[in-house]
Amino acid sequence: MHKPSELLAQAVSDLSARSGHQFEISPETVSGTNLFVVHTLAHEYRQEYTVPSGGLGFRVPFNFADAAPEDCFFITAAGTKLKVPDTVRNSSDLHRVGVTEGFVAGSALGNVPVLVFSWHLWNRLPWDRKKHTLFDHYTHCIRRFERPEHD
Amino acid sequence: MTDHRISLPAAELSQEVHIAIGANTWRELQATLWAKGPHEACCFLLTRPSRGMVRTTVLLREVLWPEPGEVIATPRRLEISANYLSRAMDAAIDAGPMVGLCLVHTHPKSEEFGEGAGLFSSRDDWYEQRLFPTVTLSREGAISASVVIGSRGDVDARVWWRDNNRAAAQPVHGMRIVGPELRILETPASPWRDHPDPAVMDRSTRLWGEEGRRRLQNIRIGVAGAGGTGSLTILALATMGTGHLLVWDKDVARKENRHRTAGMTVDCVGHPKVIAMRAMAQSFATAEPFTIDVIEDWATTSEGLTRLKDCDLVFCCVDKLSARAPLNDLAYAHLIPTIDMASWMHPDRNLQIDALMTHAHVWSPGIPCAWCRETLTSYNLTREAQGVQQGIENRIPYGLTLDQTDGVEPSVLPLNMLGVSLGLMEFMQIALRITTRTPRDLKFFLPEWELDESDRPVRNGCDCVLMAGRGDTWAISPVSMDS
Repeated sequence: MHKPSELLAQAVSDLSARSGHQFEISPETVSGTNLFVVHTLAHEYRQEYTVPSGGLGFRVPFNFADAAPEDCFFITAAGTKLKVPDTVRNSSDLHRVGVTEGFVAGSALGNVPVLVFSWHLWNRLPWDRKKHTLFDHYTHCIRRFERPEHD
Repeated sequence: MTDHRISLPAAELSQEVHIAIGANTWRELQATLWAKGPHEACCFLLTRPSRGMVRTTVLLREVLWPEPGEVIATPRRLEISANYLSRAMDAAIDAGPMVGLCLVHTHPKSEEFGEGAGLFSSRDDWYEQRLFPTVTLSREGAISASVVIGSRGDVDARVWWRDNNRAAAQPVHGMRIVGPELRILETPASPWRDHPDPAVMDRSTRLWGEEGRRRLQNIRIGVAGAGGTGSLTILALATMGTGHLLVWDKDVARKENRHRTAGMTVDCVGHPKVIAMRAMAQSFATAEPFTIDVIEDWATTSEGLTRLKDCDLVFCCVDKLSARAPLNDLAYAHLIPTIDMASWMHPDRNLQIDALMTHAHVWSPGIPCAWCRETLTSYNLTREAQGVQQGIENRIPYGLTLDQTDGVEPSVLPLNMLGVSLGLMEFMQIALRITTRTPRDLKFFLPEWELDESDRPVRNGCDCVLMAGRGDTWAISPVSMDS
């Protein structure tokens, strides 16, 4: 079983310092994977969501930074909807998200279902193992809260 | 005239000491220095350490050429100005911690004195005893060096470092010229010996000559992984006359390994794979002496990566991409050519092969690395780390379920053998230079029945160029394959 490397622990510490949110890393990898969960318990969500704030995080491979963080993120409020239905899709469901079980097993969050956001975070600018940081990944994630809810 | 030799402050930095330099830099160095003949010529280079378990290598990288007037040369002596030394020291300081200086100079042929010997003269000793305390005492953690090149290409070298509060020196045992091939120049301190009964390998010697035989007998080769490809590699290297092997694998042999692993008898099941490899290699070895050290651990742990620096050449026989990342970086940063081999096959629903690939890829300066070739990408590494949840980010948000798979792919002996054979052909080229060009990545494909060489160039700005020869100053993250 992998334990977070010093480099990864330092990266999470730097993320907390730069983001202003207290992130923590799971003590072990998610079952069946070599991914650690990095999350913060109190993060503001999008104003249009029915839940104003809660946990937010993402998963990071044990061999970070050679391997990039997973190209998605999650919030812990799995029942979150749009306050006002999106007129394009005529739906209150968040766009391109899915409730997932077993995604954060092994973290301090417990084995709870979370809402996973698909978001092509690194499709335009490839992850550079010697340059990019978890803070870069985090800023990609929260851009989702500033974009339209539909394509 | 009596040659009054002074004794240099001797100490032991490591059991074995090497100097290594990229082939392009070495060529540039030789061309420029010999153009000054019949006068002696010199230059400083920046050094970085590569510290293994039993061997320290001083890596030479940037050349700091003297400006006009900074060196006064005659056929018998050199005078280096304080300005040149000061400029070189500044460059070392600017380059960061652990960076030292190497002084390279020539002993050219001249009408008056004949051939110049690649040996330190008493004047060299006298001069260095004055120079190197200045260089080493102010650069803690750095290892500096001195090389003399004779007119016939023979070399002598030594390293200088800070030992407590004094400068100490140790003779260098060998000088590696790397990229893409590996040349090793023996110094007067070289411990290399020829095979006591060369007749046993007469047929091979007819291809690679006595020099090649001597090289095989003495080089140290690391094999990372003792599974399908690793076992065949070990069998071949021992048979071919390789003198020293280091083998890593933490796995225990299972009955399922036997049908595609060389040397795995029924008795080996339940025991570490490396124990079987040691027994097999010792049975087949033709080198004399032959040594094999087996390590029941992964080659990519912190300790493994340190010990790999003792090797002259490495075979990468691991089955995970994550382990390839540090091994790829080690090849370039520490100038240790590495041959990566891998096989992959996919049967269709009717159990007919619809895609098969085996490849052997040289990682060495001058050849595109695994990141250039995109065998390694951060995305591929992440995908591998996702394990049973591979591709989850593309599926869950759209309500799709994960593919159910145990992640175990087919593996057969002939395919592994083909990959290893390609790797061994590359090995003969790198270590024994059997032809004029080292190939890049060689791949065999089915259903095309095609052997192809990658034509991808070194990617612009790739780390393999930036990190080449940076040694211990380039951070490489260890990877444990425990799961």
